[in-house]
Amino acid sequence: MPSLAEMQSRIRRAVIDGDTAGMVALLIGGCDPERRLAIHQRHYRSSLVAAIRTKFPATAWLLGIPCLREAAGQFVRQHPPAAPCIAEYGEEFPRFLSTYSCAARVPYLYSFAELEWHLGQVAIAVDRPTLALEVFSRFEANTLMHTCLTLQSGLRYLHASWPVDDLMKLYLTGTAPAEYRLAPADVWLEVRGARGEFRIDRLDAANFVFRKAVLDGQSIGVAAERALDANIGFDVGRAFTTLVRSGHVIGTTSRDRGGQA
Amino acid sequence: MSSNRWVPIGAGVGLRLPHIAEVAATRPSVPWLEIHPENFLANPHATELLLEVRRDYPISVHTVGVSVGSVGGIDHVHLQRVRTLVDMVDPVFVSGHLAWSTHDGEYLNDLLPLPYDEETLRLVAAHIDEVQDSLGRPYLLENPSSYLGFDTSTMSELDFLREVVRRTGCRLLCDVSNVYLSAHNMGYDPYWYIDGLPIGAVGELHLGGFTPEEDEAEPGAQILIDTHAGRIAEPVWELYARAVRRFGAKPTLIEWDNDIPSFAVLLAEARRADEIAGRALAPESRCAVAS
Repeated sequence: MPSLAEMQSRIRRAVIDGDTAGMVALLIGGCDPERRLAIHQRHYRSSLVAAIRTKFPATAWLLGIPCLREAAGQFVRQHPPAAPCIAEYGEEFPRFLSTYSCAARVPYLYSFAELEWHLGQVAIAVDRPTLALEVFSRFEANTLMHTCLTLQSGLRYLHASWPVDDLMKLYLTGTAPAEYRLAPADVWLEVRGARGEFRIDRLDAANFVFRKAVLDGQSIGVAAERALDANIGFDVGRAFTTLVRSGHVIGTTSRDRGGQA
Repeated sequence: MSSNRWVPIGAGVGLRLPHIAEVAATRPSVPWLEIHPENFLANPHATELLLEVRRDYPISVHTVGVSVGSVGGIDHVHLQRVRTLVDMVDPVFVSGHLAWSTHDGEYLNDLLPLPYDEETLRLVAAHIDEVQDSLGRPYLLENPSSYLGFDTSTMSELDFLREVVRRTGCRLLCDVSNVYLSAHNMGYDPYWYIDGLPIGAVGELHLGGFTPEEDEAEPGAQILIDTHAGRIAEPVWELYARAVRRFGAKPTLIEWDNDIPSFAVLLAEARRADEIAGRALAPESRCAVAS
């Protein structure tokens, strides 16, 4: 008689991989327990494929539902969820999809699907009260450069080598023409959302680098240095002021003192 | 160990994400609501709405991801997240399933069956102790919906549940639809099952829709799939009346998780549950049972 651990390993193989070896003799239920085991196999696959489809409707529109469904079926088999919150499942799907055979004809697919994933994530975020620019008037310049900013949780910064934001807007507005030519072009995107809504804005490369570095936890000084590497004419003061006034900043921490505003 | 929120009487409904904004905005008349924490843990906006809703409704937290039957143990990260939500919501109940769903760092997104023997009993009891200690409140354990059993089981599901209750002090959530469905699929009498559950341990009842499918192994026969995708079947309402007569008036929940209808449809099902419970508890009905 197998141990419970061995039994659960076998059921796991049956449910995810379809391998029922060594399982059927242990089961009871109806005339053919193996067919009943298939109920759990089907549920695993169909529930997770449905979850992926729900999260990537625009990608399904772009690629076609059959291709997306087939890719999602492979994905759920090769990448089972790691935790019970299925809302968090699927972050790796854009990367997986971009390597999938029927996606080879769409070179911007990864960027498009990644954008869609982040739209879904920021749309369920919650905005927090923002810091006014006046808060920073009491900071000395040197202190400010060593200050890290906490940004709204519904912010993402994405770089793509194709204008996938234009394509996404066609989908979202239902205005896709019969034929549309997409040419490669670098875009630096800021995706912001909260409470069911979102927006996509383009930034210039230096501003993108600055804001992304701030979001990643770098001090204002380090973020500014990186932005200046991207564009020697980058205006730090203006970029900082615009960032604060846009309502993105909700807190500060000092690298040196560890304090919070 | 228990919540200080009052225990509701009457039938509530499962609050799913498509309805939460409507419920927050309109505050419909329903005695209580039940949520799956897994729908809220990764959704700050939904959690914000839930915290608004909880001001006006008792909330029950029904987990689908706390896998008390997994050999690999409880997912402590997940349990801590559930605890954080429970501390915010202060629910009237916290419940989960007699099943397993995690294996070696993977979540199988299903409620998988367990063999009923001493090894499983020790494991499940230890995990329920752990969950109750972590949450600081009693856990209600739900009877499973079954398509399969194990040749290696050495005790019945009823004996297993009774012993889990004895060892852990947990309570039971009797899913009446699961009783009906499992009895149909596994070939036993659902009324025998209801009559065998320990009366004092049952703290909550569930009702949900199932979907009949042709049993491929037995042409002409049907297998019932626990889809929560439709109205409650007539034989389940009859079994519910028996459950109410046996366990008394208990908070009852209407579960509908797929092909989710308007909230009004859920409220109508809840009202029907209340009517059936009212009739089942009427004096003449109780006399009829006694005779």
